[in-house]
Amino acid sequence: MSSPPAVATRPMLVATDIHRHFEGMRAVDGVSLDVAPGKITGLIGPNGAGKSTFLAVLAGTLPATSGTIVFEGEDITHVPAYQRARRRLVRTFQLPSEFAQLTVLENLLVAAPSNKGDSLFGALMGKRYWDVDEHRLIDEARGLLKRFGMSAKESDYAGTMSGGQKRLIEIMRALMLHPRLLLLDEPMSGVHPKIVEEIQHYLQDLRAGGLTILMVEHELHMVERLCDTVVVMAQGKVIGSGTMASLRRQQEIVDAYLVG
Amino acid sequence: MNTYYAANLLIYAGIDIIACLALNLQFGVSGIVNFSFIVFQAVGAYAAAVLSLPPDTANGGFQHYVGGLQLPFPIPWIGGAIAGGLLAIPVGFVVLRKLRSDYQAIALLVLSVIANTVITNADKFLGGAAGLALVPPPFSDRIDPNTEGYQYLYIGITAVAVVIAFAVVNRVVNSPYGRSLRAMREREIAAAAIGKDPVNLKMTIFIAGGVIAGLSGAILVGFIQLWAPSVWLYPETIILFAAIIVGGRGNNIGAILGALLVPVGFEEVTRLLNNNPNIANLGPPNLISALQWVAIGLLILGFLWFRPQGVRPEARRVFEGGPD
Amino acid sequence: MNIFVAAFGFGLVSMSVIAIAAVGFTMQFGITNMINLAYGEVMISAAYVAYYMNKAGISIWIGMVAGALFGAVFSFLLNRFIYAPFMRKGTANLGMVIVSLAVSLMISNLLLPIVGYYSVSYQEDAGKLIRLGSIVLTRDQIIVIGIAVVLMLGIHALLTYTRLGKAMRATAANPTLARNCGIPTQRVIDSVWLITGALCGLAGVVAALNADSFAIANGSAFLITILAAAVLGGAGQPYGAMIGAVLIGLITEWSAAAWSPEYKEVVAFGILVLVMVLRPQGLLAKRGALAAAG
Repeated sequence: MSSPPAVATRPMLVATDIHRHFEGMRAVDGVSLDVAPGKITGLIGPNGAGKSTFLAVLAGTLPATSGTIVFEGEDITHVPAYQRARRRLVRTFQLPSEFAQLTVLENLLVAAPSNKGDSLFGALMGKRYWDVDEHRLIDEARGLLKRFGMSAKESDYAGTMSGGQKRLIEIMRALMLHPRLLLLDEPMSGVHPKIVEEIQHYLQDLRAGGLTILMVEHELHMVERLCDTVVVMAQGKVIGSGTMASLRRQQEIVDAYLVG
Repeated sequence: MNTYYAANLLIYAGIDIIACLALNLQFGVSGIVNFSFIVFQAVGAYAAAVLSLPPDTANGGFQHYVGGLQLPFPIPWIGGAIAGGLLAIPVGFVVLRKLRSDYQAIALLVLSVIANTVITNADKFLGGAAGLALVPPPFSDRIDPNTEGYQYLYIGITAVAVVIAFAVVNRVVNSPYGRSLRAMREREIAAAAIGKDPVNLKMTIFIAGGVIAGLSGAILVGFIQLWAPSVWLYPETIILFAAIIVGGRGNNIGAILGALLVPVGFEEVTRLLNNNPNIANLGPPNLISALQWVAIGLLILGFLWFRPQGVRPEARRVFEGGPD
Repeated sequence: MNIFVAAFGFGLVSMSVIAIAAVGFTMQFGITNMINLAYGEVMISAAYVAYYMNKAGISIWIGMVAGALFGAVFSFLLNRFIYAPFMRKGTANLGMVIVSLAVSLMISNLLLPIVGYYSVSYQEDAGKLIRLGSIVLTRDQIIVIGIAVVLMLGIHALLTYTRLGKAMRATAANPTLARNCGIPTQRVIDSVWLITGALCGLAGVVAALNADSFAIANGSAFLITILAAAVLGGAGQPYGAMIGAVLIGLITEWSAAAWSPEYKEVVAFGILVLVMVLRPQGLLAKRGALAAAG
């Protein structure tokens, strides 16, 4: 299960002393974290530790109160969320965030960043202008659907899918952006155990293909199987990091969080 | 059938269709609740009027307005469209950037009320409360607007405008760009998370819708040859919203259907009722027009409750080559 | 200089009227998340109730109480039969705005054939003029200011000292949490509509009393001023609405003295625009009108 030897030594993302305060609450209280390229990093901790908030700050959905975020060598602290996505720092959401009145295939197509028809000018130029791009992207999307076993559902409304299917749609949608770093917020939450197995395999395949993943997750067995490194948060701070095995040996972490 | 009656019906239908297509682009497809829509139609009408009117000293100098450039068709119509787009820029800039979407709607509604008050009180600017009259219709220097032949001409140029508006809106809605707009309508934060800039999208569509709305105003003022604040009170926007909600949100066929059912349909029913003296004199004066508004309100509530997708719902997009 | 001092006096009356209305409006939003665009129409309806009583010879002060009761019942029924069902159905905030706009249109147009289009006014002797320096106010105007002060204190007491008030604040802050803590949110919401409805009705009568005349069409003008005060103070914040009312009342009266009384709503609107551009969350609120990613 060991991944190929790391070639790049520079971390893909460096978060330094991130604070997120809101209405008197210190949801994220000085978190610094490096994300190594080509690995799956887990982010665990009890409820209310600030994990999802931290992820949202990394993605730009929420602004940081203070601190810096450097992604692939560039400071993105003040870059808005949509631009971070275009730079291929992509997130998924804890609660289902599919585009309900778009079909499954459309959910994937809409995420594609390089479609000539995706501007007012391009639209006004008419179908012939963007048809080639569109067909290329349909093929790519269908490839993803096939890989994730949802080909049959391509023309169904995403809003009618089950919880697990919506998760898969979000992951596939994120993949259409060809992310360099994927931020997953509890991808297994509320998902049928059988689908959880599948998602696990997909994530391992993606990592083998070179994708970097930072994943908030509660299911500790999953974290153990998937993650190369794990970071533990509690009450807005990082209280430990390393492999699951090394973390289990640290008493205060076990006390704070790990059970079993 | 009387040519003048038919012209009236068809031209109003054309204007309402163009207006509904624009509002559908903003509201149905992109989720912008533009409660100030009528102001954009009005600015197009005013622009077209002052572009085609002679200087305000003419006709005995009884009205006061800016402009009066007496330009020939199609400049007033183009000017009206541009005016609609230009107005959208500062309005969109203030309203569409940082506010929560229901606050955007309120701000636009308030704008609609205030704009009407300001124009009514600014006597020298655009004719004040009395508005602008004797607006020369297109080609009126060469053809007498009162002839039957002119009616056909006007129907013709309106039809051309409808076709152009439809072509534009159709291309936008049924394109990858339209898909991005719908995604933003569905879930703005997720759309941003996949690289769509919501502010840019909203501003662009606000301006585009403004242009088309302005055009509809230019066509209307050319036909009725006058324009005053009483014509564009804030509830007029609500009729168009009712049209979109009834006809079907997010799709152009639904918008056209809504335009025919609501603004045109109501006009016709009201005309029929008013023509019948027994009904027209029932109850206090203006009863029918008041009930019209009650009916619009009921239509909106009824459809939002029972059939929010409208008579003709947004079509599901199926791509060829998929699994059976 | 004296016009401005006199305008300050009018400002005191104005802010009193606006405060009563704006506090009710903002509490409706703060606790039920409902921007009730029919608020202005309910105000006007209550004003007409008092008008008909006044025509029948009943004192305007009793008419005021009747207006408050009418407003309470009307608002409660509006919520029970229209707003709450749509909300339960899952209608988004934006959809609810459309619903309340449709309702406001229906109310005004159902009333129009009954009450007519023309302006009316109360038959009320405003009482003798009372001078405080350069400020000249009638007895009635002073009573209005007094009523507003009493009501503001009453709201403060309600929110700070009573169980219901604390439940309201909890529900405003976090409805799910409030429900999970055992707060009977349904009863709280019903009370909110009754209390704010009473404020709304009372404000309608007071506003009509303060104006030379009124008609159905005044509903939307009221609404704009109330919106400006509520947003300026911070949407959903009752104390913010009070501050907003003070500022809007003063500024609009001063501008009326400096330029022209017809533009009062325009000034209020201008303030609304400024707030939205510079500080959308208003003076007191932390989130208020900002988009969710604030």
